[in-house]
Amino acid sequence: MLLIPCPNCGERDEIEFDYGGRAIQYPALNNSMSDWHMVLHQRDNSTETIEEFWYHQSGCECWFKVTRNLNTHEFES
Amino acid sequence: MKYSGFSLLKNSFSGHKHWPNIAADIEPKSRYDIIIVGAGGHGLATAHYLAKNHQITDVLVIDSGWIGGGNTGRNTTIVRSDYLLNASFKLKDFALQLWQALSQELNFNLMYSPRGYIDLAHSDGELEHFLSRANAMRLGGANVEILSSQQVADRVPGIDVSDNARFPVCGALYQPDGGVVRHDAVAWGFARSASTAGVHILQNCPVTGFTAKDNHITGISTTRGNIECNKVLISAASASSKLASMVDIKLPMDLINVQAFVSEPVKPILDSVVNYNAGLAYISQTDKGELVMGGATDGYESLARRGSFSSIEDTLARATQMFPFISRLRLMRHWSGTADIPMDGNAIVGRSPVENLYLNCGWGYAGFKATPAVGWSMAELLATEQLPQLLQPFALDRFKSGALIDDAGIGPYPWLH
Amino acid sequence: MQIRRLKTGGCIDRSKPIYFSFNNRLLDGYEGDTLASALLANNVSLVARSIKYHRPRGIISAGLEEPCALVACADEHGMMIPNLKTTEARLNKGLTARSQNCWPFVELDIGALLQMGSALLAVGFYYKTFMWPKDWWHRVYEKFIRRAAGQGRVTYDADKRLYDKKYAHCDTLVIGSGPTGIEAALSAAESGVSVILIEQDCVIGGSVLWEKTSTDSLTTIKLKQYKNLRFMVNTLAFGQYDHGLILAVEQNKKNVESIFWRIRAKSIVFATGATEQPLVFPGNDRPGIMLAAAVRQYIYRYAVIPGKRAFLAIADQQERELTEKALQVAGVEIVGSLGEGDQITGTSGWHRLRKVHLLNKKSISCDLICVSNGWISNAQLSAQMGDKQTFATSLEQRPNPQQHTGSAKAFVDLQNDVTRDDLALAVREGYSHIELAKRYTTVGMGTDQGKTSWPNAIVELERLSAQDSSRVGLTTFRPPVSPVSFGALVGVETGQRMVPIRRTPFHNAFEKAGCVFQTTGDWLYSRYFRVGKESMNDAILREVSAVRTSVGCVDMSTLGKVDVKGRDALEFLSRVYCNNIDGIKPGRLRYVLMLREDGILYDDGTVAQLADNHFLVTLTSANAGQSWRWLNKLLQLPWPDLDVQLTPVSDHWASLAIAGPQSRNLLADLNPNFEIDKTSFPFASVKQGLLDDDTPCRVFTVSFSGELSYEINVPAGFADQLFKRVLDKGAAYDISPYGLETLDALRIEKGHISVGTEIDGRTTAADLGLGKMVSTRKAFIGSSLLQRPVLQQPDRMQLVGLIPADGSSTIPAAAHLTDAPWQVGKTQTPLGRLTATVHSPTLGHSIALALLERGPQRINQKLWAVSPVEDKSVEVLVVGNCFYDVEGSRLHE
Repeated sequence: MLLIPCPNCGERDEIEFDYGGRAIQYPALNNSMSDWHMVLHQRDNSTETIEEFWYHQSGCECWFKVTRNLNTHEFES
Repeated sequence: MKYSGFSLLKNSFSGHKHWPNIAADIEPKSRYDIIIVGAGGHGLATAHYLAKNHQITDVLVIDSGWIGGGNTGRNTTIVRSDYLLNASFKLKDFALQLWQALSQELNFNLMYSPRGYIDLAHSDGELEHFLSRANAMRLGGANVEILSSQQVADRVPGIDVSDNARFPVCGALYQPDGGVVRHDAVAWGFARSASTAGVHILQNCPVTGFTAKDNHITGISTTRGNIECNKVLISAASASSKLASMVDIKLPMDLINVQAFVSEPVKPILDSVVNYNAGLAYISQTDKGELVMGGATDGYESLARRGSFSSIEDTLARATQMFPFISRLRLMRHWSGTADIPMDGNAIVGRSPVENLYLNCGWGYAGFKATPAVGWSMAELLATEQLPQLLQPFALDRFKSGALIDDAGIGPYPWLH
Repeated sequence: MQIRRLKTGGCIDRSKPIYFSFNNRLLDGYEGDTLASALLANNVSLVARSIKYHRPRGIISAGLEEPCALVACADEHGMMIPNLKTTEARLNKGLTARSQNCWPFVELDIGALLQMGSALLAVGFYYKTFMWPKDWWHRVYEKFIRRAAGQGRVTYDADKRLYDKKYAHCDTLVIGSGPTGIEAALSAAESGVSVILIEQDCVIGGSVLWEKTSTDSLTTIKLKQYKNLRFMVNTLAFGQYDHGLILAVEQNKKNVESIFWRIRAKSIVFATGATEQPLVFPGNDRPGIMLAAAVRQYIYRYAVIPGKRAFLAIADQQERELTEKALQVAGVEIVGSLGEGDQITGTSGWHRLRKVHLLNKKSISCDLICVSNGWISNAQLSAQMGDKQTFATSLEQRPNPQQHTGSAKAFVDLQNDVTRDDLALAVREGYSHIELAKRYTTVGMGTDQGKTSWPNAIVELERLSAQDSSRVGLTTFRPPVSPVSFGALVGVETGQRMVPIRRTPFHNAFEKAGCVFQTTGDWLYSRYFRVGKESMNDAILREVSAVRTSVGCVDMSTLGKVDVKGRDALEFLSRVYCNNIDGIKPGRLRYVLMLREDGILYDDGTVAQLADNHFLVTLTSANAGQSWRWLNKLLQLPWPDLDVQLTPVSDHWASLAIAGPQSRNLLADLNPNFEIDKTSFPFASVKQGLLDDDTPCRVFTVSFSGELSYEINVPAGFADQLFKRVLDKGAAYDISPYGLETLDALRIEKGHISVGTEIDGRTTAADLGLGKMVSTRKAFIGSSLLQRPVLQQPDRMQLVGLIPADGSSTIPAAAHLTDAPWQVGKTQTPLGRLTATVHSPTLGHSIALALLERGPQRINQKLWAVSPVEDKSVEVLVVGNCFYDVEGSRLHE
């Protein structure tokens, strides 16, 4: 069970949060199909750390971005 | 040496000193016709069918670890084909047909045990969905039934269909041919068959890169040197992403931790495989007597093969809803695997943007049951260059075209699948 | 009779005798005993039968590493708990224990005959045989195998015991209360930080208890003097998880069976000690062969002598001396010792050890062999988090390299009956990697977690495959360190308490009105309202008729509601919904569709404009939570620049829709303080005000039923009052409250789509005949990927209606559409599938909605609706998806 650093509430237990997936940056809404395809679908899984979104659902309801190591689960600032 | 009761008896007189190695140690050649990266069930099955169906044995199966050490050895061994969408159903149903005769074909007892798969419905609406799925399966030739809650209770002693349950059991989908197969044996049986036919299996040798020219792969680099080849199949589950990235292919999938656990072994208490759908928990009993259970994924990306206990608590709470007696048993071991889950929750099998590179990945937590069918079809593709009809829906370009196979209707959020 | 109990000594309370039953024999022990020490005191050496060969087994150890002495114990309700280690079971009053895996008795076990065929039963034999006849594995062989396998027995009776869960936090968590652990806990406490010290045993002391009666009382006093130090005994830390989380189960509590602790610590001290390893030699499993430190613990701590004539097979000199000293204290005769170069070739005895045989020496008569093959640190907890263990770091003392050979079986894993020969066979067959050997032979996979088997297994594998141990590697350590009860892990989340039940504000009032509820997601939602003894179908007919001819009312409170305010509120909603909503005016509302980023239809609902820059959005019940999260995500992540405030108001409002031709009259009777005539309050509008001058309300003119309808929202606290008044005033119109079944029947008659059936995560708006609602004038979430070619193809599955071709047959539910009727044995590829079916009370015949390939182009064609499972085929006529009031005139009456 991760201890996730919420920017408002500090470190809280994983069960308070909802995962928001890879921290993808949306293209503009009117950008092309292939722009959206690349951003929404294609993943670079070759790195050990990723940027991801979390949502503090049972807390302040903040959406935030963190960097996490997928092997150690450590958060990096 | 053929496995049989007779050969077992014969060998018992010589103290079992003469049984051969199932996957002979080899020194890799400098060139192979086909290289399969990943010695799990899928990769080894592909090698087996290349040899058996197409007489192609100039094949190397290479793995960074030991045979069957990935998701083949980490799943909950369930085989079934109850999927709503035709593409999913057909491939898994073909697999189910193959499972039935595979022990004899491989001359290795895989312990295919058709003890019946029971998928519980918790509302009349859910039961109607199951009926729709069952009708689709019947039209496709599968044997499947819908059970009332009383029939569920009759078939599965110990299950709670009473009003005390938080989510009532309103009935179930029942697939009699569904059941379990001893997972490790699948890897070993395919390895032994392929190895006997002349396929080379190289364990503990990571692939570190590909040599390519003009969108064409000429060989692989490994910790034991370079090996040339005509074709490469990446069949490496969660490691497929990293391998594909070596030739600049980004695969549309996330890597998510999935857990399973077993109780201490007890005498037979549960015959069927039962799935609880309000939340998720599936349960069966191994031949060794352990109750083996699994549930939803951990819900976030991870490569650690080490999970969050909260998802085990959740699975266990639901399993205890089904079978209140299990709380008197004890948790003996829990473990994890990394599921490679694509954006529609379904596998990516077939050609890649690189001319002679083929892909078989994205099976998430559903790969085991499909093993022989995928091996069979992939071997056909590699040998004949004809894409078998069964594999056509699973093409990588479907995310670009929109031809999704989203059985759960969840969308491009792999952590929710 | 405790004939093996010493007259004095031990950490047992001789003033408190405890009687217990073992295999129906009444025995006694003292408070402070474990079941194991009490059995040994009573000179019971044969405790169990081994799993595969049914060999007699006794007690090997004094702790959680015990591989052999497993028994079933009854709980206080008389239910048997299988597989308890005698060394972990505390002796309680009335304890009833039984040997497992033997028949008829542990002393005379028929299963032991299996040993005669043991040459055939070589490791993995089942992979090599039982393949013919083809279906006999499941039908015949597996049944025998399954019955033979498994340890104890469990019954189907539900567990009646209570379990609890708790959280704890501390600066320093010390696991293990041996000398190191106590030292660490005291020094941490001294520095002022908060400390928790946990010990799995019932007393503190750890390894001290191997050499002494108990920890000196000074230590206990010291531990108690720190207010910032808490120590917990009977608490097993079974797993380490991310970010300093230790999970532990505390047992032997007064009012509950156990407490499941989640302890979050800033730093953790693993003072978990080490486990002594047994020696592998022929016949090393006979009752009477015991780990040396366990022998000492039985003597010092429990004042029990495990034998009278002891032979020592201990490599380490200090360990040997300590053991000799203990045996002398207890008056046990030492009959011999394994010297340098000595080899044990076998042991003999029936149910307990009688002799040990040495190579080139005569046999020595003894009833106890104290064995030690070195110590392995208990690194499981720290290793679970991925600390790479190597053999050198985990093996404190290299095992004795001397190989003991003989004709008898030499066991490496005493629980799973894995012998040295089995490992040799595994290596020969290519299963030489430790993970493969483990899976093939099951070595180390028992309930003892291989605590006394995997180190010896590694040594054997190393020798067999001529690899050094660093290459053999270790298997992954998997939690739990020792088995923990499922009941403890589930806690109180059983039965109805598993997931909180959500009830709407009308629940109690509905209950009184005869409502039959149904579990729908987390909600308990009204299904139908029963009058007298009528059936559900009769109730539905009555309810539908009320709505179609007069008026009915239904609970809409489960819909998600979001208050959207701010300068950019309309811009935000325009991006979120695919419709053109820029022309919306205050007081009006729109039916809207929300797509996923990939263009697939996700949710439908309404947007109502309450005032300038102020909107109320409804979300479907099924998606309410997820959609709320989604709206927040969009606003907080990609579009933080928008001036929009979102407020969740779902739980604030109780929402009751009145529907039917008389609904306007009923609303008038409720005495609103605003105009409600056709022109001032048309369809798709919203008004706020008071009912009866005392009830604040918002009323929306929306309709799911196709009838004139008003959705009355009042603050949740007014729910009872609103429902009562609606029923009172509605009595004049024969009002009927209705539930989910009627709601569904009405919407199918109208061809309205619903989440979960037509909005199934695969369909587009156009598939459901709503293509015109998708704006081509603006970009919105999903607009780009919706253009993907396959989503635009004309041959997609599209929504149509179906009626029976003969006008009267019942269309089977969940059927699929084909060209021809269903025939057994013939496969068919369906053209479409039914999403909703109902016997229309209004039309008097069966109707259905379906997703059909090129659906709209097939209107007026005949197809077959087939349900192979129910063996039904009904010819149907494809029609439009609206069966009732196609022009929608009733909404505007």
